[in-house]
Amino acid sequence: MTITTDEPRKDRSRRLDVTRAGGQLITDYWEDLFTAREQGKQIVWYNGGALNPIFQAAGLAWCHGEAFSARLAAQQLEGPAQLAGAEYGYQAELCSYSRTHLGCSVLTMGADDGTESGIVGMHDQEVLAAKLPKPDFFVNNYAGCSTGQQWDGVSFRIFGKQLPIFNVSHPYLWGNKPDAGYLVGEEWEAASTYVAEQLRELIAWLETQTGRPFDWDLLSESMHYIKRAAELRREGLELTKARPAPATFWDWIASVAPINFLPGDQQLVDYFQDVRDEIQGRIDQGISAVEDEKYRLYFDGIMNWNKLGFLSRKFAEHGAAVLAGRYIQNAFWQEPQLIDPDDPIKGMAQHYLLCPTNHGAKTIDYLTLRDCEAYDIDGIVFHSTRTCRAFTGPQRLLAKSAQDKLGIPSIFFEGDVADASFYKEEILESRLVAMLESIDMKRARAS
Amino acid sequence: MASSALEELRGAARDHRSYIARWRAEHPGALVLGVMPMNYPRELAHAAGVLPVIVPDDLEPVTEGRGLIPEFYCGYTRNLADQAATGRLGQYDAILLADHCIQLLGATDVGRVLEPQREVFLGMLATSLSDSWADAKVRETLQQHRREIERITGTTIQEEALRSSIRAFNADRALLRGLLDARAAGSTSYSPVELVDLVASAQVMDPLDHLPLLREVIGERSEQASERDDRVRVHISGHLCHAPRRELLEAIEESGATVVDDDIYTGRRYAQTDVDESLPPLEALGHWYAQRNVNLPCPTRVQQEVDWDGWLLEAIERSGAEVVVHLMPKFCEPHMLYYPELRKALDAAGIPQLLIETEHEGIPLESFRTRIEALVERALRMRPAYA
Repeated sequence: MTITTDEPRKDRSRRLDVTRAGGQLITDYWEDLFTAREQGKQIVWYNGGALNPIFQAAGLAWCHGEAFSARLAAQQLEGPAQLAGAEYGYQAELCSYSRTHLGCSVLTMGADDGTESGIVGMHDQEVLAAKLPKPDFFVNNYAGCSTGQQWDGVSFRIFGKQLPIFNVSHPYLWGNKPDAGYLVGEEWEAASTYVAEQLRELIAWLETQTGRPFDWDLLSESMHYIKRAAELRREGLELTKARPAPATFWDWIASVAPINFLPGDQQLVDYFQDVRDEIQGRIDQGISAVEDEKYRLYFDGIMNWNKLGFLSRKFAEHGAAVLAGRYIQNAFWQEPQLIDPDDPIKGMAQHYLLCPTNHGAKTIDYLTLRDCEAYDIDGIVFHSTRTCRAFTGPQRLLAKSAQDKLGIPSIFFEGDVADASFYKEEILESRLVAMLESIDMKRARAS
Repeated sequence: MASSALEELRGAARDHRSYIARWRAEHPGALVLGVMPMNYPRELAHAAGVLPVIVPDDLEPVTEGRGLIPEFYCGYTRNLADQAATGRLGQYDAILLADHCIQLLGATDVGRVLEPQREVFLGMLATSLSDSWADAKVRETLQQHRREIERITGTTIQEEALRSSIRAFNADRALLRGLLDARAAGSTSYSPVELVDLVASAQVMDPLDHLPLLREVIGERSEQASERDDRVRVHISGHLCHAPRRELLEAIEESGATVVDDDIYTGRRYAQTDVDESLPPLEALGHWYAQRNVNLPCPTRVQQEVDWDGWLLEAIERSGAEVVVHLMPKFCEPHMLYYPELRKALDAAGIPQLLIETEHEGIPLESFRTRIEALVERALRMRPAYA
């Protein structure tokens, strides 16, 4: 028998203390959502870019499908939903975010007393450890992935084609024109305008669904807080470049949920202020995020949510500080200067377009190499995220480019966002050790 | 014995490179554009005097491309990446895309990185078709495509040329559709392999070359009309973007079944919808794109008011199919997402079904044959005793 998740021998990781507070914020958010029906709120299920400021201003409770799947996986509770999905007919190779979320939908519809209570799968609550309320409507805001819209289209069907649904469509930033590039060019401007127009349509649609006028002032207020939180997050990411690194990719992963779907308010700002301050404090006190940091690595791929704590300890065990990754540096309100809180729609549209899977290979190559240089990276770890074709598409090209242009070696390991069965511990271990040895050899030759 | 016209069409379907080479020889200086499936309006490019070829996979095993794209991309896109990596896309002067499939874009990006001198243009046709602004966005995208084709070819597309190309493609599709309709109504004049070859050749060839040959084939075959016998009637469903392996279709018929209808891309899905010749050409192409998903719903599109499962049940009613064989290219995400809806609807209607995952290479044919035979047996047991 193969044991795929042996505990690393000694924990050399020093995770930021503040992320525990972030965990409590997330727990509070979900608990509040679970009782949204009782609070008399309408509930929207959505996928893709962070539309929560719009939902907040519309007075809704919101549930981000991917986030819920990630939460179940992080708590090792994804099994029952995935089993329900499999019995319904979803293949194991289908995106495990969608498979888990659609499994929840199947359970919801199968719960004989769910209709009355508005609670997903009453009979399955103990194993799901989740109490997701049924939606009143769906909104899809998926960029990059070509089955993002289809996912909610299928949710719409599972719920009997009765619930209203709104789709925001995003042009893929392919880079057709010579002037095309990151945040520049005719294509970028045209796409920004197109998505902004749809967001205004969405707001009008939400007014119809809620029967209330949309609170534009509240949207501005929310985006003011989100912009400030995003600025603090960027400051923290800048500080992470220090050597030895005061924080790691894993700390930022633990802070994805707050920036991705928590309400825009002072509490969110306070959280990222605390993150930034703790990192600065570590620099001031000479505390590293990895005991005896020896290697600085870049992580490309969506997080393997089943293995967050495990992977952070595993890399630290080898003295490897994982500092940066496409899923962190190039996602989640990562360009706060684009946000004008007084007129936030265009900046929001642009962030939705900036999903790290919504660029052609040329732009992703630019972003990856830029960050590898900025963080003084020794090697890249590609999480070959089995059921995410959107994130993995350019990885082979990136590996070649990093080697050819910067001399940075890389490894691939197999895993998945929310399906632990794809994770191959021995492959990661042997390849990681080999890459670290090759970095040692390179250093020895250079000295 | 196959006629020379049928042989020529089969040749183009199975060896598109030889056809392209001949076409180039006959049209010196004219461009050949590779267009990616499944919704590119080839009429636009054809009207500019070029040969727009829907890039097919080939039978070469995936070698170099394997290192450039994830192994969990579909066989078609892995083959495309391999074509790019080994210079087999060299026959195309430019590549055009209108469909947002992340695997297709990933494979195309491999070609773009390896051969940057070849232009690649993506004008993404709106996927969400229920939106009130979808029509306008589609028209805008088609205008972009028109401008790009004019720029690439250095030719201004004339309205009359576009109308002429629309008529040519319509005539070709109508003939193919007639064959598919006749099969659904009871004719067995063409085997499923022959029909796939006829459609696949249409996806590669200039309709001005394809149409006369197709007419010739139909003329010859009309004298040998044959009708269904009591074999189990099969509807083949799925297989987007590229043709299923012919031996798989043969295995179905060798198992005591007869294919009576399909919704595959190298079948009815390609030929189902014509462009309205009474409308201004660009507007008509926009309508054609939207109508394709109504006439035969596609899991790659999002449109709340149409259902592939509902269409399938109606198609089964029309053709009298007794079973459905789902042909799903492994890792095809839209198909994986929608498949349970098909399964549910067919189960509710009491229609036996079988899911077969296909791959670019290494198809376990004997295993498939056993499963198909079991499906046929099940269908036979379900027949009324007095029949």
